[in-house]
Amino acid sequence: MDDYLIGVLSNIGVISFIALSAYVLLLTGEISFGQQAFFAIGAYAAGVATALWGWPLAIAIPWGAAIGAAAAVLVGVPTLRLHGLYFAIATLAFAEMVRILFELFRYQILVDGEWVGPNGTDGFGNIRYIFENDIDAFHFMLLIYALLVATLVGFMLLERSRLGVIFRMIGEDETLAGLQGVSVARHKVLAAGIAGALAGLGGGLYAHLTTYVEPRNFDVMLGVHSLAYGLIGGLGTAFGPLLGVLIDIGLLEAVRAVAGYRMIIFGGLVALLLIVRPRGLLDETVVHRIGQAWRLISART
Amino acid sequence: MVDLVQNTIDGMMIGSSYGLLALGFTVIFGVMRRLNLSYGPSIMIGAYIGTFLYVQLGVGPFAVAGAMVSGAAIAGIYVERLCFAPMQIGAGIASMVSSFAIWMQLEQAAILVLPRHTYPFPPLTTGALLEWGPFLLRPDHLIVFGSAVGLTAGIQIALYRTRFGLALRAIIDNPVAAHLVGINVRTAVMLAFAAASAIGGMAGFLVLAVDQQVTPMFGMWATLKGLIAMMIGGLGSIPGAIFGGLLLGVVETHSQWYFGPQIRDLTAYVVLFAFLLMRPSGLLGLPPAPDTASPQKR
Repeated sequence: MDDYLIGVLSNIGVISFIALSAYVLLLTGEISFGQQAFFAIGAYAAGVATALWGWPLAIAIPWGAAIGAAAAVLVGVPTLRLHGLYFAIATLAFAEMVRILFELFRYQILVDGEWVGPNGTDGFGNIRYIFENDIDAFHFMLLIYALLVATLVGFMLLERSRLGVIFRMIGEDETLAGLQGVSVARHKVLAAGIAGALAGLGGGLYAHLTTYVEPRNFDVMLGVHSLAYGLIGGLGTAFGPLLGVLIDIGLLEAVRAVAGYRMIIFGGLVALLLIVRPRGLLDETVVHRIGQAWRLISART
Repeated sequence: MVDLVQNTIDGMMIGSSYGLLALGFTVIFGVMRRLNLSYGPSIMIGAYIGTFLYVQLGVGPFAVAGAMVSGAAIAGIYVERLCFAPMQIGAGIASMVSSFAIWMQLEQAAILVLPRHTYPFPPLTTGALLEWGPFLLRPDHLIVFGSAVGLTAGIQIALYRTRFGLALRAIIDNPVAAHLVGINVRTAVMLAFAAASAIGGMAGFLVLAVDQQVTPMFGMWATLKGLIAMMIGGLGSIPGAIFGGLLLGVVETHSQWYFGPQIRDLTAYVVLFAFLLMRPSGLLGLPPAPDTASPQKR
């Protein structure tokens, strides 16, 4: 594989995590404009762990996910009392606060005679773990996809479990779910925690993939994109947001010929798509039909 | 003490244009119950048309204002036709994501027409600073404040003294009932969208004439500032939008003066976050009904 393809594929893999993060909240019926905050927190936490504290990647990545989840639960407890637009704007405000705090955050130590660490708006460079440990780009890509496949298996189990049903139930009608004896508040905070962990995991991988992060990477644009992926790809299955990422990054990379017009074409296509399919390409109906067809085929053989 | 008063005056002058931005946003949200993320970018399209005429033909500020208001209104109608009118009931999030896709489209269109990063924008006036005791007033600030007050009064009259205003208030109150009493909801919503984008265009013109430059980032800036001021003031409240804008302007000017631009932006979001947690209805809005703006209901 050539380096360019590996780069694009790695990017798609990493962005998929933040798309899945927004998708978890969409399942419970909440829109978040702020998942980039936990992506940023994961990126900085994991980056600091390897580059400054000398931790191995195998611990730093889960650490980033854990910090992301902890932050998401802390914010989730007060904000999840809000609904709809109020919740969406609260997540936006929080994410922008986090971004600006990273612009002010300086924490550097001397590593091998060189100052390393987050340095405000100048960003956080030299997250060189994968070079120092001779992991080439191809193997790092395999690591990203191994984690992504594991996450997807987790999602498939979730969709079949009682928890998955409860999430969708809350998303369908919160009051009704509460009347059925579901603890709505607790499950929403749990969903926020899972979403935070996924974003933090993706952030940690992103920091090590690019070796350099700066607060500007984590602006509102990233958050709204990750929300849009689920809506474009479909809300019926965890493969929906992945399809969204693939369409956005993959297709746009493929049509470099029309570089200057790509957002004009893409934006228009998405707007038209959402008129025909307001819950995305792989919505609940399509997923249900695929499931039925699959059962029919497997019953015959 | 002089600083405190001076900053408050400056903040209110700037805040009045935020209030106008929030006002356009509130009208759109009121009639649609959906969030139009392309609100700012529609204004930016107007600004680019205005600055194109200014750079290429050298027209004056009045012509630029006219071009900007009509450009924003046309862009607003485009967004309404594509992202809001064809969407079914219950597809509120789809409308919002669709308006985001169109935001990307409008931003790229603006860059295609005028590819440089910044373009000059005509100043309102080149008059000298006015002195008033120990305080200084920028003449362009005064024009901004005066225009904002005048426009707000005009909008208030249009909403409460005209048939169209009555129809809009009926739609805001209950779209189904409005339809049943013979109001053409679809046309009225489209006109409201155009009017709201035009108000935004006027607000954007006042902001840019003070800054005297325009960049493609202005779309995002206008959406965010309008959104913050609208939420602080109280979703759906017209006086709330104005007071929210004024409060945002004053808070921003003070924190900029004492702590610099980064803390200024941080403070704006902290105030917004605190309002949402402790008083989601904002300064003057009604308490949020459990299902208003909830994604699965609209």
